[in-house]
Amino acid sequence: MDPHNPNPTPTDAPSPPAESAARLAALSLRGTRDLPPDFHTAEIHDLDDDDDDDDEGYLTAASRGGSSTSAWKEAPEGLHDDDKDGDDVSQPSPSSSGYAGERGSSLDDDPDPEPAQDWPRDKKHLHEDDASSSWRKRKKHFFILSNSGKPIYSRYGDEHKLAGFSATLQAIISFVENSGDHIKFVRAGKHQIVFLVKGPIYLVCISCTEESYEGLRGQLELMYGQLLLILTKSVNRCFEKNPRFDMATLLGGTDAVFQSLIHAFSWNPATFLHAYTCLPLAQSTRQAASAVLQDVADSGVLFVLLMCEHKVISLVGAQKATLHPDDILLLANFILSSESFRTSESFVPICLPRYNPMAYLHAYVHFFDEHTYVALLTTRSDAFYDLKDSRARIQNVLLKSNVLIEVQRSLHENALCVEDLPTDPSSQSASHPPESSRDMNSQSLSSEMAIGGPGGLWHFIYKSVYLDQFVSSEFPSPISNKKQQKRLYKAYQKLYASMHDKATGPHKTQYRRDEDYVLFCWITQDFELYAAFNPLADKTQAIKMCNRVCQWVRDLENEIFVYGESALSWQYHRCWGGI
Amino acid sequence: MGCSSSVPARSTGGLNTISNDSSPATDSKDLRAKLVLLGDSGVGKSCIVLRFVRGQFDPTSKVTVGASFLSQTLALEDSTIVKFEIWDTAGQERYAALAPLYYRGAAAAIVVYDITSPESFSKAQYWVKELQKHGSPGIVMVLVGNKADLHDNRSVSSQDAQDYAEKNNMFFIETSAKTADNINQLFEEIAKRLPRPTAS
Repeated sequence: MDPHNPNPTPTDAPSPPAESAARLAALSLRGTRDLPPDFHTAEIHDLDDDDDDDDEGYLTAASRGGSSTSAWKEAPEGLHDDDKDGDDVSQPSPSSSGYAGERGSSLDDDPDPEPAQDWPRDKKHLHEDDASSSWRKRKKHFFILSNSGKPIYSRYGDEHKLAGFSATLQAIISFVENSGDHIKFVRAGKHQIVFLVKGPIYLVCISCTEESYEGLRGQLELMYGQLLLILTKSVNRCFEKNPRFDMATLLGGTDAVFQSLIHAFSWNPATFLHAYTCLPLAQSTRQAASAVLQDVADSGVLFVLLMCEHKVISLVGAQKATLHPDDILLLANFILSSESFRTSESFVPICLPRYNPMAYLHAYVHFFDEHTYVALLTTRSDAFYDLKDSRARIQNVLLKSNVLIEVQRSLHENALCVEDLPTDPSSQSASHPPESSRDMNSQSLSSEMAIGGPGGLWHFIYKSVYLDQFVSSEFPSPISNKKQQKRLYKAYQKLYASMHDKATGPHKTQYRRDEDYVLFCWITQDFELYAAFNPLADKTQAIKMCNRVCQWVRDLENEIFVYGESALSWQYHRCWGGI
Repeated sequence: MGCSSSVPARSTGGLNTISNDSSPATDSKDLRAKLVLLGDSGVGKSCIVLRFVRGQFDPTSKVTVGASFLSQTLALEDSTIVKFEIWDTAGQERYAALAPLYYRGAAAAIVVYDITSPESFSKAQYWVKELQKHGSPGIVMVLVGNKADLHDNRSVSSQDAQDYAEKNNMFFIETSAKTADNINQLFEEIAKRLPRPTAS
């Protein structure tokens, strides 16, 4: 173990052969030296500018695709800087390169104080580039570039000003590829640089958020999926024709889509669970919606999705057509982050990367109200008026059956709260009157409101493996602010990554305690349960609560999950077997 | 009564056309017209449409994705009622290849540029050429210089645009979606120029 490496990975990968190790050592040296000096600073964690929490900058809604008059930088200035301000990586050594093959995710729980602010959708800090100290201090960068080093997307700053930086990233990737290998990640002090190569398109995340390699790589995969949703994989042909092809202009006007996806990485569990979540609704209400959606799908529409924000109300696919949860996530993100959909009905080519990454589908999108919308997907480019008629049919049924009203009500009331967790009748320590249980509309006024649910339960996420759906509880008061919620999601992400670690797992249960929470994870072939308790919670009690959560979810299954839609009706009857 | 569709349907092969011939008009005085807006991104196509259809102007920029569909009815002085079915297309380059889907079968096309942006004027000329090559025969084409309220920053002269429009047999008008200047006039002029159905 290298004494200079402050973040030893718990599972060190087998060392590469000597020759390539030497090359990697050189790479590591170059890689870290190429970074601007601020990437090394230890106090980076004290800065209140993580991810989405920016309070400077300006509106840039239509920022892309325009001509850039800005100067192109020759190279990052860090190239010539010495490393004296980087305690952590002052002397990069072979073993600090972090090139650890499949593994290497750190399980350290290092709480990372972050500010709580609302997400500024349009802020991209266009005035920044790799020479600005504010840019270097960002905790999490995302870059998309072409294999010739041309910038395609950057989370912060103007892509055109980051040409030199992009070229550096490209050089790192091709340096490794030239030796017949490919690069997965590089560690530089507290920073992790994760690479994802997709043909001619390179995606890179530079982060000091302590997230696992698997987690960050999954996020890059979703970024790539979002890009395909907008452009399809046939964009690769442009690079075959012209390697210097400037793809950034093709993505004009889509900044908000990527910003919103990156934001989702810190609040939407669907981004790492690969499952979708439903809006809780009475079974009869959902059936009314599903029936008309099924009718429409039978008339030749490929997919019909009725959604409320990110939550599915109902979805139906034509025969044998199945929708992947990631496609639902990316489609919803695309629709919700593009303001123009809310203005009027739209007809838009989109690609569902998991369904068919090569081809466009045509999507008809209409918002019934501020939150609720329908998306009708077809392969026919001339189907607009048919889809418009179908939408009118759907709208009629939704109005007649009061579905839209029920949706509004559910949006405001029907959240699962841990305070409402039904009491186990045999439990003496229970502080809940049994009559308050199982009523999703009940508002608990007990003192536990202040401290979370019974047994110290704060929060849970339950994923049904067969349905590819999950439910998560509302956040109780101990984790009421955005910063705490984000921290909990990061803890869940880590938990997820460690449970699904291909090298050491998969695991069935995990129980861990740190100064923030007790985290408990339980995976069976039917479900995955992630639960957070207050850090003083008793282990036996916690396990008991987890059992009660599972029972509770089972009792509510008809309201919180979508069943039996042909698009996703795989073996749902097996869902509850053998808990 | 040839009112159900204001344009002859083009049934030639190739790309499909979005058209709706299903609902017949109720009165011979009524006209339905498919109208398409084309132009560079950010010139204000959506703002023109929203000003015309809803009387609104939203200064925050909302990038159109794909194409938006809106309709608005306009009564002319000769008591003709024109129902515009408007396709507000996205200006982004990635959607350029899809434009035929929206302009085929259109009775009228509004080609928009921004009077402060010479690039957008060149782009407008590109669209005019494309429409001349592939648009419906007899399509009513209008050249619109938008953002007329920003005349202090003007970089496309009215005369140049007027000359270009005349050469290409187009109607030319400068508008401001922000102040609503000339917006209704624009659509009235189009309505007047639409071919009338031959009386039965």
